[in-house]
Amino acid sequence: MSELNREAPSAGVGGASSVPAGTAGALTVNGVRREVRAEDADLTLLEYLREVLGLTGTKNGCAVGACGSCTVVVNGQGRRSCKTRVSEVLGKDVVTIEGLEKPDGSLHPIQQAFLDAGAIQCGFCTPGMVMSAYALLLRDPSPDRSSIRTALSGNLCRCTGYQQIVDAVELAASRMRGDGA
Amino acid sequence: MKSWNPESVQNVLGRTKYIDDLPEPAGLLHGQPVVSKSAHGKLLSLDASAALALHPSVRVLTARDIPGENELGTAVSDEPLLVADEWTYRGQSLALVLADTRSLARRAAALVKIEGEELPVVTDPREARAKGMIILAPRTMRMGDPEAAFRDCAVVVSGRVESGGQEHVYLETQGATAQVRDGGGIFVLSGTQSPTGVQEAVARNLGLPMNAVEVDAPRLGGAFGGKEDQAAGWSALAALGAFVTGRPVKIYLNRKDDLTFTGKRHPYSSDYKLGLDAEGRILAFEVDYYQNSGACTDLSPAILSRTLFHAAGAYRIPNLRATGYMCRTNLPPFTAFRGFGAPQGIFVMEAALHKAAEAMGVDPIELQRKNLLRTGDSFHYGMPVEEARTERSVERALERSAWDRKRTEIDEFNRTRRDRKRGMAALPLCFGVSFTKLMMNQGGALVHVYRDGSVGVHTGAVEMGQGVNRKIQKVVALTLGIPEARVRIERTRTATVANTSPTAASTGTDLNGMAALVACEEIGKRLSAFRSESGLGDAPWETLVSKAHEARVDLSAHGFYATPGLFYDGKAERGSPFAYHVYGCAVLTAEVDVIRGTYRIDSATLVHDAGNMIDEVVDRGQAEGALAQGLGWALLEDLRYDGTGKLLSDTLSTYKLPDAHFLDFPLDLEFLADAPNPKAVLKSKAIGEPPFMYGIAGYFAVLDALKAARGDRLRVPGFHDLPLTPEKALDYLSGVIP
Repeated sequence: MSELNREAPSAGVGGASSVPAGTAGALTVNGVRREVRAEDADLTLLEYLREVLGLTGTKNGCAVGACGSCTVVVNGQGRRSCKTRVSEVLGKDVVTIEGLEKPDGSLHPIQQAFLDAGAIQCGFCTPGMVMSAYALLLRDPSPDRSSIRTALSGNLCRCTGYQQIVDAVELAASRMRGDGA
Repeated sequence: MKSWNPESVQNVLGRTKYIDDLPEPAGLLHGQPVVSKSAHGKLLSLDASAALALHPSVRVLTARDIPGENELGTAVSDEPLLVADEWTYRGQSLALVLADTRSLARRAAALVKIEGEELPVVTDPREARAKGMIILAPRTMRMGDPEAAFRDCAVVVSGRVESGGQEHVYLETQGATAQVRDGGGIFVLSGTQSPTGVQEAVARNLGLPMNAVEVDAPRLGGAFGGKEDQAAGWSALAALGAFVTGRPVKIYLNRKDDLTFTGKRHPYSSDYKLGLDAEGRILAFEVDYYQNSGACTDLSPAILSRTLFHAAGAYRIPNLRATGYMCRTNLPPFTAFRGFGAPQGIFVMEAALHKAAEAMGVDPIELQRKNLLRTGDSFHYGMPVEEARTERSVERALERSAWDRKRTEIDEFNRTRRDRKRGMAALPLCFGVSFTKLMMNQGGALVHVYRDGSVGVHTGAVEMGQGVNRKIQKVVALTLGIPEARVRIERTRTATVANTSPTAASTGTDLNGMAALVACEEIGKRLSAFRSESGLGDAPWETLVSKAHEARVDLSAHGFYATPGLFYDGKAERGSPFAYHVYGCAVLTAEVDVIRGTYRIDSATLVHDAGNMIDEVVDRGQAEGALAQGLGWALLEDLRYDGTGKLLSDTLSTYKLPDAHFLDFPLDLEFLADAPNPKAVLKSKAIGEPPFMYGIAGYFAVLDALKAARGDRLRVPGFHDLPLTPEKALDYLSGVIP
């Protein structure tokens, strides 16, 4: 479990009615409720995660939503955090790469599959890839390779030929379904 | 379960700390360069008053603040750190703004007023050459007598070939953090492939000895050559900021700035003439390369030299003349990029051979096979061809790809379909490994065996995703005879291993792995002597180490490796510039939508010579990734500048690179079996760059399909203007490209 998770267990997401003075509202990040200071509401979610919360696993690759390095999952949907304002996700549930690791410190099956399939080279695109895969498997536990490619088509990798990344997602899906791979 | 790089665990957890992920030291200032807004001009005045008024933390540094030499160029002094009088490309640094936050620094930089006088702009290499804007003297390599040989040729073809530039798109942009060290001097954390290069640049710019500058290179988020020479400027600016203010300074370019300010792969424009006998054997080849070098010399001479060395591709050419011109234009200095000039040269050779095939009405594969290099031939630079694996790779690739059957199927498909056409092509590979600059072929390592038996390894190699640390870990574990898990590869730092060559030219493992091996052998020798002296018998490693330490045996060693047998006479253009060559062959098939000009790659078969692989997962990843990048260069990636030197493809939404859909085809990759390489560490071969060339087969596979749409594919003239974007495909189909 990350440091952040340890210090403040989730208290649920506050609605607009419970906004304290000087705050814009709250959101949940990796299960932890976060009060957002008014001056932070206009930040991009990416800036908020990296600079305010210190969650630097989410990467800034292009700042225009074209590379997918900044992908996080908001209410179960993959989202470009560089193109999302904090104000748009108030009251919502955000999961970042730091939130996938299980409480006992073991890797999420998608993380493990990326290792096993040799899907990582420089690693900079990896968090975004893993989060796009996570969003895909939330809505479709049995994607075919073509749906995997579609789900990852907004994530650029400059090191691999994507082959191993697609392999990794397929492997993760099969393990998560309990196919015994 | 497969083994993986231990560093990758940090990647999947999101814990890897790239430069912009590290906690910022207290008092850190962010730096933002103020750059030229046109491609050529004389700097008349720089007014920082509005920027300084924005916030008390704002500082603006100019050339006058540089205590040492205002110069970054190493081959030629033509690249100031900050422009003092004349800028020569758009995006060149004129000043450095420092402020408490990144956004303040950017806002302040926008407020710096620049007044200048516009000067004429040249972006085309041939125009530059015509105007005498040449960097260094043209260079020519020659073998035999091509002028005479052309008279004996049954077929002579000539033509012009264009190849575009290519943006690196390392996903982590350029950056560095610098701070003043205790006891004076500067510490720089630099996103570089060349820590010593950065150290030297910072020392030079600040007027310090090299021992006052320490450079650490953390794991990079990709580099591909883009951080070989061109990381130095950003590190030197950060160091300047820290030196002048006494506070830590970070510079981390955003994507648009990185795309606009930094150099890319060199565009080339070339003329060739190729002569063959009636049987299709190449007798003579002449080529002139007009390298668009950009505004500053950077690595252009070394890149041109690799182009010239690869002029003949994988073919035996008895009479050859290759001449290269480094043409100075007003574009950002073009720089190292995977392949380093070889792809441009090999593309011209292939274009010439395809043109000859059209003239003779034969399939290009016939000419390719007929002219392959063989053991005992001589390269045009005088080096004998040792253990050529060209024919072996090509024949195996044709067999694995079922070339003949596929050819028949494709021809049949093309006969029956008008809306879609298919094509196929092969690319035989021969790529020389070693830095072509002799001095750079050296590596160093420092290995510590700690008294509990764990091992720490320092080398000059920078990990950027290519797996060099993984390979070195395996080399060390094997040499010491201990489990890999006991071996840790440390971050690259100049204070630990000095005078290192950049991690480049595919030589990272060859040089640094060998240096680590040498160090391990030295420690191994001491330990085995101690084992027999002390009668420890077959005591386990941990016991041996701990007893050796008690007995005061030195458990650390420095290892050094200089590639043997290399020499080159630059005047005669003769010598042995490479330790060895890498061979291979790609066969690619493609399908074109004749209505739209769009296409897809249908299949790829690669047979590649990687020697005895140290780590197959790493080599597979490198080969596949290199093919992807090569296909991007050959087909998709359209780097565009307008006539004023402004980059038009300046975001990742306007510069298209391969995505998961584009690379959706079956890829059959076979490594040559029983192919040890006695010239490199553990009989392996370098892997980083050579497979990039396979992308060229993608160009000719798509072109083959396009030709089938225009008529008899064996005779219809093709065109050789890379990248072959769908736009150009459509222009060719409609006759806009003749």
